[in-house]
Amino acid sequence: MKKKNNVKSIIQALIVDLLFWVYILGCLSYLSNNWFEFKVEYRYIALIALVLTLLFFLLGDSIGRKIFYKSKKTFKKWFKSIWGWLIVISLVITFVVGWNLVEVNPYKFFTKFKNAGGITSGIFNPSIVGYKLTENSFEELRENDVPLIILEKLEYIKNKSYTTKKVFLKDLEKKLNENELINYKSSILKYAQKNSNMLNKALNALAETIFLALLATIFAIPFAFILSFFAARNLMPKTFIGNSVYLVIRTIATIFRSIEAIVWAIIFSVWVGIGPFAGMLALMIHSIAALTKLYSEQIENIDPGPVEAIKATGASTLQTWVFAVVPQIISPYLAFTIYRWDINVRMATIVGFVGGGGIGLLLLQQQQLLRWHNVGLIIWLIAAVVWTMDMVSAKVRAKLAEM
Amino acid sequence: MKNILEIKNLHKIYLGGIHAIKGIDLSVKEGEFLILLGLSGSGKSTFLRCLNRLIEPTSGEIIFSGQNVERAGGKSLRNIRRQIGMIFQQFNLIKNISALTNVLTGKLGYVSLIHSLGFSRIKNDVNLAEQNLKRVGLIDFKMKKIRNLSGGQQQRVAIARALMQNPRLILADEPVASLDPATADSVMRYLGELNKKDNITVICSLHFLSLARKYGSRVIALKDGEIVFDGSPREIDEKKFKDIYGQEAEEVEIR
Ligand SMILES: Nc1ncnc2c1ncn2[C@@H]1O[C@H](COP(=O)(O)OP(=O)(O)OP(=O)(O)O)[C@@H](O)[C@H]1O
Ligand SMILES: [Mg+2]
Repeated sequence: MKKKNNVKSIIQALIVDLLFWVYILGCLSYLSNNWFEFKVEYRYIALIALVLTLLFFLLGDSIGRKIFYKSKKTFKKWFKSIWGWLIVISLVITFVVGWNLVEVNPYKFFTKFKNAGGITSGIFNPSIVGYKLTENSFEELRENDVPLIILEKLEYIKNKSYTTKKVFLKDLEKKLNENELINYKSSILKYAQKNSNMLNKALNALAETIFLALLATIFAIPFAFILSFFAARNLMPKTFIGNSVYLVIRTIATIFRSIEAIVWAIIFSVWVGIGPFAGMLALMIHSIAALTKLYSEQIENIDPGPVEAIKATGASTLQTWVFAVVPQIISPYLAFTIYRWDINVRMATIVGFVGGGGIGLLLLQQQQLLRWHNVGLIIWLIAAVVWTMDMVSAKVRAKLAEM
Repeated sequence: MKNILEIKNLHKIYLGGIHAIKGIDLSVKEGEFLILLGLSGSGKSTFLRCLNRLIEPTSGEIIFSGQNVERAGGKSLRNIRRQIGMIFQQFNLIKNISALTNVLTGKLGYVSLIHSLGFSRIKNDVNLAEQNLKRVGLIDFKMKKIRNLSGGQQQRVAIARALMQNPRLILADEPVASLDPATADSVMRYLGELNKKDNITVICSLHFLSLARKYGSRVIALKDGEIVFDGSPREIDEKKFKDIYGQEAEEVEIR
């Protein structure tokens, strides 16, 4: 049994086996806790895993052995070996645990479609009417003998946010008795809804989103532009300092890029408050990182000939960058930047959901108010903008490619 | 006549260990038209680029009109480079900007960055650039993008760019290798004219012996990074030719 297996491969095999058993036992204890409310303590899991590891290792057919021992001697079909069945079992357990964690429920999927009736009808029947109270409707309410106390409240919330109004109407519902409800609430709601224009509101929020994305892109350009030169391998001298600068910028850009814009939006909505400014900052940070990478890769792809030629005229390093590098990258830079704006408009919608302002925030509010027809309107508007941006940016980029 | 260039024991060993230039000693007199011959890989490009430090020589000494090139740094290196024009096989122009702007970049060694950022508005430079374009017969193309010019025209723009530097020496690395024979000859004619009229020293690597005979005043042949021939173009007979290019080589005549 003792072949020429060195200590390293034994340790590697043991570690893999141990991790495997810890995982399997962890899964099993999750399931036992979930189904029978029977909790296994961690130290027992560790202990049992250790025992099982040693047991199967000594049996000579564990997964770790299979991976790290290169024995050509006996080739067994996988279903005749222990490691093969261990893998099958682990896959089954993984699937069961996954099913539980995600709360997969086909029954709901096929029987509860009517729950989505509201939003579906909203999408196919988008409203352009909102819930804003205007001077006019206010006057009409007064004429309808709505009690003064309610009118005062209405006056107070007239210019407040949707959420406030929602809360107010809910309150009203509780305070008024059956009769009053029938008498007033419907008329209040009717007038509150009739005279206002959701389309206007949505278009404003949409403009906010588009400009938010535009500003984020524009503010990102100078940072990314300058950083990209220092993140280009072919421009940085092959000295210690040159390599360090290159590495540091590339690493930071990669890290910042791998943090989703939505996470940045959460951070900034706490930092500067909920609203479009937080959304803009979030998209800007993300855009700087993304554009730095794209830009610098573009620089690495330039024709080195002109750089050499301009250097040979006695130009300084900065002049070489300006006159030999910049003309070669300007049109791909523009293309990338427009593409980025396109992406940012789409991301701005999502970012709005977590406090980034704009159409995303409006969508979230309307969804929480269960105003499905407004939600429908907003979804259509977003689709129209994304589609238009997509078309325009593709056209412009095609033109730039010819330049 | 005095030497414009003196090279002593020049070596270049690349990072991978290839010894491309193996101890070259050479003096170039002012006003010479020096032709550099040699097989592919013999070290012609490396040698030419060592002269203005586009490639850092490993060891040796290079004196350009009294100034030490290999020890120069920063400002003094720029000062040396701007007196040495360079022409490349692939022209190395910026393809998506106009011929005139490309020619103007020849002036960069003489001006600061701030100055150069606005140089399209500087009358004297623009006039000079137009004069140089006229000299190479391309004044009508000054606003054309380089991309839309033929190979021969591009190489003439590159010559105009080099002229912009008011150079005392021009290094040309296979300037006609990607041109047809007739165009090649016309480009060489411009170089010959600069050499005769403006007394600019030229070092030019070539693959065609006929052009070497027609324009060169002196020929050097490199083989594996060493000089294997140094003399007048007329001295190259069949035996010398085979020494340079190998026993199987036949001279291909182009006119
Ligand atoms: N950047 C480099 N790194 C490593 N080796 C190089 C490099 N550039 C050139 N060499 C090597 O140096 C030697 C000389 O190359 P060089 O380009 O100077 O030859 P050449 O005479 O100009 O050839 P050609 O006629 O093909 O242009 C060759 O063996 C080549 O492989
Ligand atoms: Mg070469």
